[in-house]
Formats: sequence, structure tokens, C-alpha cells
Amino acid sequence: MTMEIIFVTGKGGVGKSAVAAALAMQKAQSGRKTLLVELGRESFYQNALNLSAVSYHGVTWPGFPQLEGRFTLALWSGPECLKEYALYLLKIESLYRLFFENPVTRTLIQVAPALPELSIMGKATSGPRRVGPALNYDTIVIDAFATGHFMALLRAPLGMAEAVRFGPMGEQSRSINKVLSNPELCKYVVVAFPEELPVVEGLELAQDIQQTVGIKPTLVMNRWQEISASVLQEHSDEEYLQRFQRHLQRLEQRQNELLALVKENFLPVMLPQIFEVDFSKVVTALTASLSEVKL
Amino acid sequence: MISSLTSAKVIICVGSGGVGKTTVASAIAFQAAEEGKKVLVLTVDPAKRLKTTMGLSDTEDMVQIKHPSLTGELWAAVIDNKKTFDDFVRRAAAKAGGNVDRILKNRLYIQLSTTLSGSQEFTAVEKLYSVYESQKFDLIVLDTPPAQHAIDFLVAPQKLSELFNDNIAKWFREPGTKGVGIFTRLVQTGTKQVMKALENLTGSEFIGELADFFRDVEKWQTRLEERTSAVHRLLVGEQSHFVLVTSFDEAKLHEAEQFSKEIRKGGYRLSAVIINRAYPSGLRMNVTPGLDLQFSAKSSTDLERAYMKTQNYYRDRDQIFEKFFIRMGREAQVLRLPELESDVSDLGGVEKMARELKA
Repeated sequence: MTMEIIFVTGKGGVGKSAVAAALAMQKAQSGRKTLLVELGRESFYQNALNLSAVSYHGVTWPGFPQLEGRFTLALWSGPECLKEYALYLLKIESLYRLFFENPVTRTLIQVAPALPELSIMGKATSGPRRVGPALNYDTIVIDAFATGHFMALLRAPLGMAEAVRFGPMGEQSRSINKVLSNPELCKYVVVAFPEELPVVEGLELAQDIQQTVGIKPTLVMNRWQEISASVLQEHSDEEYLQRFQRHLQRLEQRQNELLALVKENFLPVMLPQIFEVDFSKVVTALTASLSEVKL
Repeated sequence: MISSLTSAKVIICVGSGGVGKTTVASAIAFQAAEEGKKVLVLTVDPAKRLKTTMGLSDTEDMVQIKHPSLTGELWAAVIDNKKTFDDFVRRAAAKAGGNVDRILKNRLYIQLSTTLSGSQEFTAVEKLYSVYESQKFDLIVLDTPPAQHAIDFLVAPQKLSELFNDNIAKWFREPGTKGVGIFTRLVQTGTKQVMKALENLTGSEFIGELADFFRDVEKWQTRLEERTSAVHRLLVGEQSHFVLVTSFDEAKLHEAEQFSKEIRKGGYRLSAVIINRAYPSGLRMNVTPGLDLQFSAKSSTDLERAYMKTQNYYRDRDQIFEKFFIRMGREAQVLRLPELESDVSDLGGVEKMARELKA
């Protein structure tokens, strides 16, 4: 099975995490051993799914015994990725301790430009590069940062390769960059929903990604509401129903305008608005919608 | 004006990305200007959202926003992150008689001033402080940089100043008074191995740049420390009020509660929590339950069914809000804003949102 790494991004609040989870779930259901990764210090999924913890090395996504452990969820922070990589490179535990328990290194990690970002990208691409501890997954779905932070993440290896031309760090950066620009290995998904700013920012982001790695992202239009003609045209004497109908008419118009804008450059994947409060139900419903789509 | 904010001279809007911080900040500023105040809304925004929202054509300096209903003055400015950081360094280094060009050209500095976590937050408060010092405005509303978590805004400048406060920086510096350079010092203290490991990881070029950087940074270190503590005094002072803007989902509300605890621990004042786009504007959230029974599955029309489906969904969500309100209501004023009829992407939208804040 060929390995694939899928980065999911978009403007904040567009439902990235739900889409990333649904995508990972779909991959796992299709028989691929899948890792869903969230980035940062704190886990979003932990709260959303009421899990006791989400760890660096991963926990099984709850409630799907039929997937037989093919769906794992992990939380990666920059410092942890760096630590793992350094341990792999330094090999000797005592040297590693000396290295990491040293105040110089601690401060460096906190502030050194793009080092945590670089480590995250290093870990994400460690499979195809055969560097670092093995990541035995067919698919890695990364619920990545929103717009600006994602571009900083994506550009970190490039920036580092330019800043440090010689030595191992420059070399590593170049090899990471090579994987990130390989369409056979990496896919990018930009999530938006039918409102002006998420769509406009999403389109800009997609363009930035394409310019940086040369791969055209897939655009997902999330929370799309299919509104039937009868709902839009039906006559009602109730004032509140009339108001609600006007709300839907505006929504319909806005949706169509924004979809037309997206379609100028993309063939978007459409995902419906899910009228559920429970996060795992939202993910299950989105997974069902995704099953007809090839990503 | 939101009642808990009437005495504020500085309002800081915090919140994670995508919750509508910029529009809420603009609406708060708009409202204060309607009440006759001279207000500045200030944002660090790579996506230039405020620019779009306020219809600004120029991002360089402060621009006055004209609108018939404003009896006071409304000004807006987009902070240029790199420029503000460079300006600060230039001033600080010039005072110390340092070589400004060399700092500005250092590759690590270039990365630090634009991409490093903490630099946007630093420039935001730097600009806030200098405008506040100028006393030109009755109220300054700061729209904080997009962050993953609301708390990042308070943590980030701290992280940045640790770089300069910590003894670490001294490791990399040139002799100074004691006449001991970086490599001598490292050898002396027996951490040669650490340096070797660091070099293995990063390459010697990186270490060289790092040493250069810290050597230069020393020149503006004191100034930065002074500034950091002055800004801190401003942010904990009674003229400064924090407003948390959040979207309406369980994870975000959970984060809001955590944030409120953190912020109080730090001595700051969280005055209001604004839950943005809690429900569509047309939806009746307080209908008598009996009304729902009129819709039986058979007799109801497509429109009625669509309404029921939507209303049920928002009602389910509202239970989450009720729980949140009970826990948070004592800490800060909690407001819910409906999703507006159209996108808030121009001044008209800001005005509408300002009306909602009043309601």
C-alpha cells in the first residue's frame, strides 16, 4: 500500500477537525491503517469525544471495534517531535539527557525560529524519508493549524533550508521539503464553509499552498445546506416562518454565489451541514457523505 | 456599550481563530464612537480582515472611519508586524549605540521578527502601549492576533521576554565585562558536549548565527525588559478590560472557562464573554413548547419541517449554553450574538453587530 500524508487546514472555525476526523475514519474503513494527528499542546478531540487522554504515541479512536485498531488518534506538539528526533539522532540516552536538561537547549527550543514547526514536519514526513522512529501507517491525516499558522508550518523547512545552507539541519530541511512537494505522497485539503471570509481566505490559502509546494489542494465546502425549492417558495401566514424563510433564501443566494466563486478554480467536495450537537455523530455523518468522494 | 466595559480605556479582544474577534472588536469600537468617544481599533492581522471590514484602503497609518451615526470619532489601524518590531529594535539599539543594520540583517532576527511565536503578540502590545502613552484616544480596542488558543496572547510575550531575561542569552554573548566568550565559557563549564550535540543537530552555521544574534540582542535587552513590564502594568491596570470572543461549540466554551481561570490567576480583568453567532437571526429561541406540538408530522409543510429541524438543533445547542452560563455568569458578563442576516464584511455589518451588542 502506498503511504499518504494528508494535511487538513482552512480558516479557524470552519470545521477542520470534524472534516479531518471524517476523512481519517473513511480511510480506516476502507482498510488503511490510519493515524489522525492533531497539532499543539492541547487536544481538541479529547474534549469533543470525552476521552481521558490523547497522547503523543496515540490512542484508538473510541467506539469502532470493527476497525480493529486501524484508526489511531495522536497529539503532536513541536517540542515533543523535536525531542523524539533528537533522541533518535543522538542515540545515547545520557547524552540526550544532558542535551535536553540543559537550560541552553530548553530556551532554544522555545524561541529558535521555526524549530518546533520544522520538527513537526520532520515527524510527519519521517516515513517516506526513512528518518526517525518508524511510523507504520498507510495514511496520516493531519488536522493542521489554521491559515497563517499552517503556512508558517509549511514554510518552515523551506525557510530553514535557506537560512542554514550547510550541515544536517539544512539537509533535513531539504529532504522534508522534497516530500512535502511530492504529489504521490502528500495531499492538501482546504476546508471552507459558505460564508464570505472563510471562502475568500480559503481560496487565498489554497493558492499559497500551491505556490509553496506545487500541489493543488482539494477544496472542501463544509456545512452546505441543501434547501429544496418548496421550502424556499412555500407561502406561510406565520410571521416567524416568513422570517425563517427569508433567512434560508439569503443563505441559498449566498451559498450559490460563493460556490460559483470557488468553482472558478476548484471542483469542491461538498459536505452537508450536520444538525447534530454530539461531535462523534457529526463525524459519523460526515464520513458517510465522504464515502462517495475519492480524495 | 456593554455595561461591564463603560469605564474601560483599553479593551483587549481575545479568542481563538475564526470566532469573529475582528468584527466584535470593530463593533465595540463603533458603539463607543456612537456614544461620543474618540476610539481607535487596532489589529495585527496577516489576513487584513479589519481592512476589509472597515473598508480601509491603506494599512500604513491610522485612518478615520466616517459614518453618520458616529458622534465621536472612530479610527482604525492595522499593525504592520515587521515594521513595528523593526522600529522598536531601531529605537532601542540606537539608544544603546548598537549597529542597527547588522541586527536587522541577521537571518535569525529576520525569522524571529516575523515568524516566531510571540512576535505578533509582542508588536500588538508594543503598539497598544505607545498609542496609550500618546493619550490621543478615550478608548483603544485591540483585536489580538489570530491564535490557536485564547491564552496564547498572554503567554507569548512572556516566552519572548524569557529569551532576554534568562541567563541563557548570556551564554552566546561576547566577552562583556568578564572577558569570557561563548566558546571559552562553554568549555569552562564543561558543556562542550551539549554544544557538540547542538551542532550535530543544526550545523555550525546555525550556531554562529545564533551567537551573533544574542550578541546584538544584548543591546536592546534592557529596553525590552522595561517595555515588557510597563505593558504588563498597563494590562493589569483597572483601565484595561479583556473581552473573550468565542464561537458556540462545546470545545470552545470549555476553552473559554479555562481561559477565564487563567486570566484571573494572572491578575487581568475578564469583563465580558461574547458568544458569537450563537443562532441564526430569524430563529425564535424562546417559543412556548406547546407551539411545537401544532406541527404534526402529517400536517406540516416542508418549510415547517425545515424550521423544526433547525430549531431543534439550536435548542439542543442551547442546553450547552445554559450550563456554561450558570458556571460563567458570576465571573463575567455573558452575551450571545445571533448570526447576522448577512456576512459582516463591511461597515454596515459592523453597525448591525453594534446594535446587537446594545440589545
